Amino acid sequence: MPMQIRRLFLALGFAAAVVTAALPTGAGAVPSNPESLINDLGSKTISLLQQKQLAEADREKQFRSLLHEGFDMGQMSRFVLGPYWRTASDQQRQEFVKLFEDYIVTAYSGRFSQYSGEQFKVVGSRQEGDGALVNSQILRANGGPPIKVDWRVGKEGADFKIDDVVVEGVSLLVTQRQEFASVIQRNGGQLDALLKLMREKTQR
Amino acid sequence: MRRSFNRSFRPVCRLAGPVLAAAILLAGCAGTPKTAEDADDPYAPNDPIENVNRQIFEFNLALDRYVLKPTAQAYRWALPEFARNGVRNFLYNLSSPLILANDALQANGERAGTTFARFWINSILGFGGVQDVATGLGIQYHDEDYGQTLAVWGVPEGPYLMLPVFGPSNPRDTAGLGATFVSDPFTLGMNAAGLDYIPYIRSVTSAVDTRSRNIELFDQIERTSLDYYATVRSLYRQRRAAEIRNDDAAAAGAGAPAPALTPTPATPQRSP
Repeated sequence: MPMQIRRLFLALGFAAAVVTAALPTGAGAVPSNPESLINDLGSKTISLLQQKQLAEADREKQFRSLLHEGFDMGQMSRFVLGPYWRTASDQQRQEFVKLFEDYIVTAYSGRFSQYSGEQFKVVGSRQEGDGALVNSQILRANGGPPIKVDWRVGKEGADFKIDDVVVEGVSLLVTQRQEFASVIQRNGGQLDALLKLMREKTQR
Repeated sequence: MRRSFNRSFRPVCRLAGPVLAAAILLAGCAGTPKTAEDADDPYAPNDPIENVNRQIFEFNLALDRYVLKPTAQAYRWALPEFARNGVRNFLYNLSSPLILANDALQANGERAGTTFARFWINSILGFGGVQDVATGLGIQYHDEDYGQTLAVWGVPEGPYLMLPVFGPSNPRDTAGLGATFVSDPFTLGMNAAGLDYIPYIRSVTSAVDTRSRNIELFDQIERTSLDYYATVRSLYRQRRAAEIRNDDAAAAGAGAPAPALTPTPATPQRSP
């Protein structure tokens, strides 16, 4: 008799957990999914960084797949080009999205190679429309104040994807948008000049 | 000692008026947009003297390449990490009176209290500031300067300025820098005591120590930038806006305001 009751409680508990996870959270409450997306990505990134003996090419490959998994590259590309997206041809847009991803991998995977025991921690989040702003911290091994990293997460269909990363108040998208706009403007408003430069930078 | 301090204080007050007026006048000139896109684009750079700024940037890069960076590398090689941290802690502690003054000018009693506490704890228990005891007690460091105070008072940043040696700035922050030179108590005290060279040693040491902590990062940014000047400009302005918002770790956590570049255009929205 006691055994059956315990199993019953277990089953009920399990069912409750499943139902709670599937329920839409009440208005004003933060959806748990954006936080778990960041948590998940964060721990995968840390384990990637911990493989110090990984070859550069392998690290980049894994970094790229993390990018695909978590980031909405299409949305990010569109924002980064700003007003130049509207006037770009389909071919230019396609090429830009591809080059933008290459550029992110080239520019940012190298910055991670100086990993030395930092810890990653999600500290909270706030609902923003369909998605959320997830706050996290990177705790340095040698002391010093933690680095604030905020993740703007939006809904894409049934999934959550990252729209922007903000480190200590500096937005990845804003920085890239302003840098690319400068390149285009200094080349007489030609998007092709930017594409050419990106091709050069991302080729090894 | 007191008499000489008062004597050096009066010129400060006389300078304050014109400096403030200059800052407000210059900051107001946003410059004309360069292209039709600029007029609509909330992320337009507001850099009307860009060509001049770029040249000064090249000068600064050369200065960094041949003087500052090698010195910073030598400093890093010569001193072990705990010694360099001691240098930084000491320098941060020396800035406390100025930080406190700006906390007060921004009517921020809580942050003023923190700065005050840090100053006494670190000066007395931290051997004159070399050891950062206060952070271990949970009292975090924060920075404030006259540029941030002017911003809080409502002075707009104005056009982008690349200063020789001092790097990225704008009229408001440059005025703040000027105010710092003439009002820092440590500098005034040293000048009054006839040790004019000490403030220079302090500035140089501070620059070298800061540079030594960013060597790989700056290298990486320069190497992968398509337009290093534009990247630095963007990073500087976003960081400055975040500093002015007091967007530090203490304010972080759930419920922190959404970070954005001021003025705040709509953050990237998903198209339907």
